[in-house]
Amino acid sequence: MKVEGTKKDNAVVVTVTGRMDAVAAPQFERACAAWLDQGERSLIVDMSGLEYCSSMGLRSILIIAKRLQASGGRFALAGLGGPVREVFRIAGLLPVFSVFETVEAALGNAG
Amino acid sequence: MATPDEGERRWLVLPAELESLAAFQEFVREGARSASLPEERLWKLELALEEALVNVFRYAYPPGRSGPVEVGWSVEATGRLSVTIRDTGQPFDPLAREPPDLTSAIESRPEGGLGIYLLRQVTDGVAYRREEGMNQLTFHFQP
Repeated sequence: MKVEGTKKDNAVVVTVTGRMDAVAAPQFERACAAWLDQGERSLIVDMSGLEYCSSMGLRSILIIAKRLQASGGRFALAGLGGPVREVFRIAGLLPVFSVFETVEAALGNAG
Repeated sequence: MATPDEGERRWLVLPAELESLAAFQEFVREGARSASLPEERLWKLELALEEALVNVFRYAYPPGRSGPVEVGWSVEATGRLSVTIRDTGQPFDPLAREPPDLTSAIESRPEGGLGIYLLRQVTDGVAYRREEGMNQLTFHFQP
């Protein structure tokens, strides 16, 4: 899995590519935590290049989302497709996140 | 390493640790090919295997003590792919857990407990038994 963060407007777009499994999930969590530690308050995770996500991936995403929510920040997901969207759906997580078709849509909605 | 037993079931035995995950995934993909599991369902097999294994990695053996985990697969006469995960750790039935609450808001969502739920949802059946001093979790995929 590859994790890349890019500052865009007032948000950080975190692009994850590949597979978010039990081995890779901590890497995502660390990368996001580092942005939050730097004072960033808005994260948009671009998942359009993510092929696979297990419960350990969901766990890391939940940890980061909760941390942002607790501090009044904003957490959004963009570009969920295929198996990744299906895993979120099965876990009942689509309604609890801000989910956008594209990063652009998420940025436009930043308010 | 991987050897067919008398029931045509092939086994791979590795330490119950995260570093073994990739090799087990590769091993079970052979089973998917043998069963001609469609490519678009492969992620379900990989997900089920990961969730079952992560459970063993975390709970089978006491902290600081490692042990083996065995993964076996076979393609039955019906074309059904059957996968078994065995460990010699303390008795633990992962299917006995309460299903997670999927309706609560984000702040009250527990971060854990989703793995076995996902496994149940993506497989075509799963069963646990304790036999010969081993935890044995078996799931299958219809052709």
